[in-house]
Order: sequence, then C-alpha cells, then structure tokens
Amino acid sequence: MTTLVRHRLILTGILLLTPAIAALHLFVGQIHLSIDDYWNGLFSFDKSSVNEIIARDFRTPRLLMALIAGACLSVVGLMMQTLFNNPLAGPYVLGINSGSSLFVALSIMTGVPFFASDFGLIINSLFGAFLFGLIILFFSRIVRTQISLLLIGLMLGSFISAFVAFLQSASDAQELKVFTLWALGSLQKVDFDQLAYIVPIALTGIASTFFIVKPLNALVLGEAEAKLLGINIKTTRLIIIILTAILTGLVTAFCGPIAFVGLAVPNLVRILFKTQQHLTLIIASVLIGSIFIVLCDILIQLLEPYFMLPINVLTSIIGAPMVILFILKRLK
Amino acid sequence: MNKLFLALLPLLFFSCEPEACDSCNINIEESHSIKIDYARNFNVNRTNVGYRLELIDPNSGDVEKTVSIPSGKDLRIISLTTTLNGMLAILEKQSLIIGITDEKFIYDKTILERFDNKLIETYGDATNFSFEKIVAAKPDIIFYSGFGDEFPLQKKLEKLGIIVIPIYDWRENHPLGKAEWIKLVGIIADEEEKAQEYFNQVVEKYDSIVEVVKTYKESPTVIAGGIFGDVWYAPGGDSYFSKLLQDAGGNYRYAKQKGTASLEFSLEQVLKNEIDTKYWINPGVSSKVKLNERNNKLHFLKSYEEKTYCYSSNMNRFWEQSAAMPHLVLKDLATIFHSEEKDTTEMYFYNRVK
Repeated sequence: MTTLVRHRLILTGILLLTPAIAALHLFVGQIHLSIDDYWNGLFSFDKSSVNEIIARDFRTPRLLMALIAGACLSVVGLMMQTLFNNPLAGPYVLGINSGSSLFVALSIMTGVPFFASDFGLIINSLFGAFLFGLIILFFSRIVRTQISLLLIGLMLGSFISAFVAFLQSASDAQELKVFTLWALGSLQKVDFDQLAYIVPIALTGIASTFFIVKPLNALVLGEAEAKLLGINIKTTRLIIIILTAILTGLVTAFCGPIAFVGLAVPNLVRILFKTQQHLTLIIASVLIGSIFIVLCDILIQLLEPYFMLPINVLTSIIGAPMVILFILKRLK
Repeated sequence: MNKLFLALLPLLFFSCEPEACDSCNINIEESHSIKIDYARNFNVNRTNVGYRLELIDPNSGDVEKTVSIPSGKDLRIISLTTTLNGMLAILEKQSLIIGITDEKFIYDKTILERFDNKLIETYGDATNFSFEKIVAAKPDIIFYSGFGDEFPLQKKLEKLGIIVIPIYDWRENHPLGKAEWIKLVGIIADEEEKAQEYFNQVVEKYDSIVEVVKTYKESPTVIAGGIFGDVWYAPGGDSYFSKLLQDAGGNYRYAKQKGTASLEFSLEQVLKNEIDTKYWINPGVSSKVKLNERNNKLHFLKSYEEKTYCYSSNMNRFWEQSAAMPHLVLKDLATIFHSEEKDTTEMYFYNRVK
C-alpha cells in the first residue's frame, strides 16, 4: 500500500468518524433528547418545548462551536509548529492569546470606562488578540529569525501574565471569579446569531491555509532552503501570523482560552500520518482537532452528574500528558 | 556549675516564650454558657474575666477554635467582612473599627466618615493584605469570612496576641441563626445586653411576618441563585436562604436537598426544571444587560422577563445589613411572592431586574 493510499484511507476513516462522534455529542447529556427534538427544534421550532429549546439553542451551537474551536486551534498550531520548526510551538506562543487575556482582564477588573462599559468580553478578547497580533507583526518585520520571534512572543506572554496576575491580586472576589471562570473556557455561551459570523470567519480562515500549503511544505526544510526554493519567507510569516490572530482570537473571544489542543493535535497528526505534506496535515488537523474537542465535551457532559469540569481544564488534563508522550517518543 | 545549669534549664524553657494559652487565668468552673437559640456555628461562655468563644467548623461540627475575649475593654477591630461592619453599626460601635477591606464596599455613613477622617484604614481582603501594615495598626481582633481555610499568617498574628476570628454566619441554616451572630459581636463590642435585646426584637418581627405569610393562599414556585461560567449555583436546601424562601411562602424545588453549601446545576438542567418557575431571586446582578453578559440564553426562563429580583436597591446596604435584618429580607421576599395579595409593593433591599 502506497503512502498516498494509506493517507487517503486514514483521512476517509476520520472523515466518517467525525459526523458519528458529532451525532453522539448531540445525544449525550443529563436531559434525554430524541431525533424529533432536533428535527422540530431546527425546522418547526415550538418555543414552549423545553427539549426543542435545549436541542436548538443549547446542544447544536455547543457542538458547532466545539467543531470550530478544535479545527481552528489545531490548524493554527500546525502552522506555528511549521513556521518555528518547533513541535512545542502552538497558537499561544506568540502572546496572541495573552493579548486576549489582558484585555478581558482589563474589562473585568478595572473601572476604566473604555474597557468596562460598552465593550463586552468578546470584543475585548478580539481586540486584545488583534492588537498583539499587530505587535508580533511589527517584530516580525524587525527580527530575522523565527527563533527570535518565538522568544519575543514568549516574553510578551510572560510580561502580560505578570500584569494580569497583578490585576487579579488587586481585584475583588466577584471580579476575580468572573475572570477565573472566563479563563476556564466554555463552549456553551455561543448562540446562532454569533455562529452566523463565527462560522464564515472560521471557514474562510481555515480555507486560506490551503493557499499556503506550498510555502509550509518548503518551510519544513528550513528558512534558507525555503528561500532557495523561491518562497517569500516574510510574506508567509505575515500570512501565518494574521491567520493565527484571526482564528485564535475568534475562538478565545467566544470560548475563553482552550489550552493544549493546538499543541497536542498537530503532533498527533504528524505521528499518525508520518508526512510533511501540509495538505494532508491541514485536513487531518482540522478533523482530528474537531473530534478531540467534541470528545472532550462528551466526557464533560458524562461527568456532569458528578462534577462540572471546564473545557480548558479537561483539554489540559488530556493534552499535557499527550505532549509529554510525544516528547518521549521523539527522544526514542 | 553543670548541676546549677541543669537545675535552671527548666526555668529557661518556661521563660523563653509564653505559652499560647487562650484559657490562662480563666476560671472555667465559674463560666456559664450564653443561650444561643438558632446559630450553630459558635458558642459563648461567660467567665470570671470575660468571655470564651467557641467557633464551630460548619463542615465537621467540631470546635475549630476557642478564644478568650476580655470584658470592659474597647478592642481595636479589623473587620474584613461586611456583615460584621453592619452589626457593629447596629450596636453603634463603629468606633471600634480600625480597618476594613475597601471603602467601596461600605454603606454605613459613620464608618465612611471615619474612613474619610483617616481613623479607618483599608487592608484588602484576606487573600491579599500586608502583614506589616496589620501589625503596625495594633489590632486586637481580625474578623474574616470563613471559607474553611486559616487566615493567612494566622499563627504569626496570634503570636503577636492578635485574635483572628473566622465568621461562618453564611453557613447557618436559619436566617435568625445568621442574625444571632450579633450576640458574638455584642460580646466583643462589650454590648452584650444591647445585642441580646436587638436580636429578641428581630426574632419577634421575623416570626410575626411568618405568621402573616401563612395566611396567604398562594405558594409560587421560585428559583434562586445564578450562573457563573457554565454552572448555576443555587442555595442548598438546608441553607438560611432556602429557609427564607420557604418562610416567605415560596415553593423552592431544592428545599429538601441536604446541606448548606451551594448546589450546582448545568443550565440545561435548570431550564428543564425551572422554565415555568414564576420567580427568580438573587441572580447576582442588577440589570438584564449584565445578566445577558453572563449568559445570553437565560431569556428562555419565563421568570427572566418580569419576575427576576435582586437585592440591588443598594448592594452595599444589603451585604452590610441583611444578616442582622432577616425580617426585612423576609418582608421583601413575601412582598415579591404575594404582590397580588399584599397592599404594598414597597421593598427595602430588593428591586426588579430590568
């Protein structure tokens, strides 16, 4: 069996598995729902039916958000790892997520009207992601190597974390609780009105990655070799950073931070496919990332009768050991 | 020489550091307990030198801490819990307060005036304070809301002779038990009789409202609490607020669930169980804008539209006074639940969330 056939077989398997797992997600939870509840909820909605409300306005957006968050974070993680030629890079290493956290923290924990009044958490989060995306862009034009940019991103993240910690220490209990809960992540807050613009932005962002497959494949060889192959490194870097800011900012704005998905899933995909062909890696990252978060959310719903587990906690519990395993595997 | 040293050695040990002893010089045999009718989380005994407080761990029911309070002395108090500020204000003993968490949480005018006159300092909450600033203020007592953990650096503060008292009023299972903490405050403020008298009046008023509520025919369904993150926190069935809801004539679904700690539900569960519930009390915010910021799906609850009420007429006043004035909270809740049967719709703490 050729590598191409094997890849196609695995991708087909994952492609079939995705709707099956998504369907399972719809029927897991403390409230039992039927297919009719979904059908009626989506096509002949009766406002007085609790089950139809739960099907239409709770479970369906939650599932769609899980699929989108998994796909976006994984594909961004893949691009970051390729750009920095480092398997430990992820969507959060450039400080873009930290930018979101900073502006959300400012909106919750300061009395400054600009941050606290008309701007909701979502706008603040998006604004923070884009502002720090721009800062990284600025640095990307100054520094020559990827590793310098990676270090600047890490330092920005540390600097912001310290500032957020200071805000937390100075905030009152209520503000601290709101910020802590945002930081725990949630897939449950989105509704259809928000999905109406989340889905097109996410799909456009993910689709755009297919246009940089060739530069990504070349970057695997290293910057110097990529240049020799005619790749414009600065433009590629710029596109990757813009896409990272958009996709990470989008997910963080609506779900809060979701850790380790962007780090663990691309590594898993590389191990599974043993290839550097980014067309395959992007498709696989999108699918496996979606499955990963949907499975996490299924587990959360199964555990709900016993305790409430936030999504960011669960992805970290699962993701961190996965990353350790990948590192050990590479060392062997 | 060696023999002399050995003979003096025990003296050396005893004189090194005075033993931390709460009961030194107290004649226990002469002590007798002060009657506590509703509160479960503290006991008081009168002794020959003052009072002996026993603070009970609400989880285990065991005595967590015993402290001696001298009588006839104006103690310097750092109060990091608003409940205690309110109780000291009722006893007109605000002058004892030398420290608070933050002036933005204060309602009492006298305390605010004293703060403006720099007679009161702010110390932050129990998780974030300056040890040296507290020591420099030379307090006799620090009050803080007890959440089961020791106060930070408690042992060091106690070595300096500062008494640290956790306040577990919020874990009481009867609103009058919460109010009865004023007796403890009265003892510390050397106003035992005044506190006793005030508490007796509160009991009388509370019971009279309960009797009136019994004459009302309706018992509307009610949900309490609100959503934080993905979790809805509702008062435990044995909590004081569950008792308040029931005494006000509300039909609280979780009244029979054991425990004083908050119950946790997913929003799906709340929607399934409470979609038709008539009243929603204490969502934790004063406006629908803020409610929607917490979760944009709360509008599915029927109570969301017209029947959501919060203690928002003045949040600081509520937190300061409601513990010692459960009769006013009860009166407000009864007014909300029985607005059709009552003559007045005037409320003290509560407002409709708009």
